[in-house]
Amino acid sequence: MKAFKLLDRSELVAAGLLIALGVFVAAQAWDWPYLTKDGPGPGFFPLWIGISLAALSILLVALQMKDAAAGMAPGKTDWQGTGRVLVGWVAVMAAAALLKPAGFVVSYVLLTVFLIVVVFRQSWAAAAAVSLGSAAAFWLLFVKLLKVRLPAGPWGF
Amino acid sequence: MEILTGLMQGFAVALEPMNLFWCFIGVFFGTVVGVLPGLGPSATVALLLPLTMQMNPTAGLIMLAGIYYGAKYGGSTTAILLNVPGESSSVVTCIDGFEMARRGRAGPALGMAAISSFVAGTFGVLLLMLVAPPVAEFALRFGPPEYFALMALGLSMVVLLAGRSMIKALLAMLVGLWLATIGIDLFTDGARYTFEQIELMDGVDFVVVAIGVFAIGEVLANLSVQTSGQMFPVPKGLRNLLPNWQDLKDSRFALVNGSIVGFFVGVLPGAGSTIASFVSYGLEKAVSRHPEKFGTGVVEGVAAPEAANNSETGGALVPLLTLGIPGSATTAILLAALILWGLRPGPLLIQDNPQMFWGLVASMYIGNVMLLILNLPLVPLFAQILRLPGYVLYPVILGISIVGVYSLDQRLFDIWLVGGFGLLGFLMRRLDYPSAPLILGLVLGDLMENAVRQSLMMSNGDISILYSRPLAATMLLLTAAILAGPLFRQVNNWRVKAMEQEA
Repeated sequence: MKAFKLLDRSELVAAGLLIALGVFVAAQAWDWPYLTKDGPGPGFFPLWIGISLAALSILLVALQMKDAAAGMAPGKTDWQGTGRVLVGWVAVMAAAALLKPAGFVVSYVLLTVFLIVVVFRQSWAAAAAVSLGSAAAFWLLFVKLLKVRLPAGPWGF
Repeated sequence: MEILTGLMQGFAVALEPMNLFWCFIGVFFGTVVGVLPGLGPSATVALLLPLTMQMNPTAGLIMLAGIYYGAKYGGSTTAILLNVPGESSSVVTCIDGFEMARRGRAGPALGMAAISSFVAGTFGVLLLMLVAPPVAEFALRFGPPEYFALMALGLSMVVLLAGRSMIKALLAMLVGLWLATIGIDLFTDGARYTFEQIELMDGVDFVVVAIGVFAIGEVLANLSVQTSGQMFPVPKGLRNLLPNWQDLKDSRFALVNGSIVGFFVGVLPGAGSTIASFVSYGLEKAVSRHPEKFGTGVVEGVAAPEAANNSETGGALVPLLTLGIPGSATTAILLAALILWGLRPGPLLIQDNPQMFWGLVASMYIGNVMLLILNLPLVPLFAQILRLPGYVLYPVILGISIVGVYSLDQRLFDIWLVGGFGLLGFLMRRLDYPSAPLILGLVLGDLMENAVRQSLMMSNGDISILYSRPLAATMLLLTAAILAGPLFRQVNNWRVKAMEQEA
C-alpha cells in the first residue's frame, strides 16, 4: 500500500483509463461472434486487443509499484505549463467549431490572434500581422492555387 | 544486352523536350503536394488524370509517375521541419528528423532525406528494370498467411520503437490496433466501435491520427513553455546546412537497407511505403552499434525510412506493369490511366509497349536527378523556416494541419478527431508513452486482422496455416528473433551484473 502511495498519480490515472478502455473494447467484442463457420468473427481480434490492453496496464502498475517499493520510481511527471496547453487546446477546438459558421479564414485568424496575444503574450500588432499574413498565404496557396475546398463563411472565404 | 538496348531506346524517348517538360511538371507538382499534408499523390494523380488524356500515353505516364515519386521527396520536408508528416510514409522520418531539427541539424536532415531519396529512388528504378518479371511472380506467392507473417514482422518493430518502457510501447501499439478495428467489418458488414457516428463507418484515417499525435501534440507540448524567440538553432553558412562526410558515412548502410527493404515491400500489393519505412527504420536500429541513440536525432534514422519510401515506388510499379495488379491507391489510378489510354495492363504490357516501359524507366532516372537538383538548393531556404519565432511557427503548423486534415474528405468531423488525437499526443509525450507504436498498430492492424481471418478461412480454422508455409515460417522466425532480442539483452545484463558482484 505504501508503494501504491508512492506512485505518480498521473501514471495511475493513465493506467486506469487504459484498463477501462481494455474492458470496454473486450466487453463490446464479447457481443460479436468470436468464431463463425468461415473462421474468426468480428469479435475475435478486438477481444484479444481488449484483454491485452487491460492485462498489460495492470502489469504496468504492478511493475511501477515494485520500482516504487525499491526506491527506483521515475520522477513525477512535470505538469507545469499544462494550463497554457489546455487553453491552447480549447482554442483549437473552438476554432474547429467556428469553421462551419465562419469559414476557415476567419476562424484561423481568430485562433492565431488568441494564441499570439493570450498564450504567447505578444503585441496585437504582431498578432494582426502574423494572422492576416498567414491566412492570406493559406487562402492563396490552397484555395486559389491548389483548388482545395476549405470551409467558407458567409463572406465567401 | 536486351536491357541495355531497351534503356537506350528509353532515354531517347525520355530526353525528347516535351517528355522532359512533363517529367519536370510531374516531379515539381509531386514535391509540392508531398510537402502539404493531407494532399497526397493519389488525389493529385486522380485530379490531373483527365489532362493526360490529351497526351500520348508515354508522356502521360511519365508525368503521373513523376507526381508519384516526387511526392515521396516532398513528404519529408514538413516532417523534419515541423513534425508534420507531409505523406503517410513520412511518419517515421518525424522521429529522428524532427529531433535533428531541434538540435540545429535541420539542414543535414533535409539534405540526407534528399540524397537518400535520390539514391534509393534510382536503385528502385534499377531493380524495376532488371528484375521486374521474376520479382512479380515471387510476390504472387504471397497469400494471406505470408501477409500475416509480414504484418507480424512489422508489429515486432515495436520492440525497436519503444522508449524507456517496453510495456508503454506495447500499450500504445494496442491502442493503435484497436483504432484500426473501428468502422465497418468487411467480412460481416457489421459496425464496430462507431458510436453510431456515420463518419466513423469508414474507420479512422491514419493521416488524421498521425497529424494529431505528431503535429498538434508537438504544438501543445511547446505551448507549455513560454518562449517568444527563435524556436530551434539554425547554424549559419551553407556548409553547415548540408550533410557532411560523417553523415554520409554513418548513413551508408541505412541507404542500402532502405533501398532493398523499400523495393521488396513495394512489390507486395497492399503493403505500401509506410510499412517499408517502419521496417527499414526498425532494421537499421536493430543492427546499429548505438540503437539507444535512435529517436534522439541520428542521421541514419532519416536516411533509412526516406530511402525505403522512395525505393518502394520502383517496387510498386513492378506488379502494375508486369501483372496489371495495383498495390496502392496511386498505382490503382495509374492502372485506370493505362486502361483509358487503350493499353492492356498485364504480362504482355512491356512486350507490346517497349517504348512506353523503357521511356518510363529512363524518365524516372532523369526525374530523380531533377528532384535532387530541385531539392538540395532549397535545403538552406527551408531550414530558415526554423528561424521563425514560436508565436509565428505554431499557429502556422496548426493551420497546415487543419487544411491537411480537412482536404482529405472535406469533413469537419476529422478536425474534431485531429484535435482529440492532438491532446492524446500531448498526454503521451508527458507520460512518456512513445507515439510511433500507436501509428504502427493503426497502419498494420487492419491488414493483419484481414490476413489472419482470410488465412483461417482458407484452412477451415486450422491455425497451422499461419506458420507451416516456408515463406511465412521464415518471417515468423525473424519476428521471434526480433521480439526475443531485448530479452537476451536483459539476460546478458543480469549475467554481467552477477559476474561483477561475484568478482
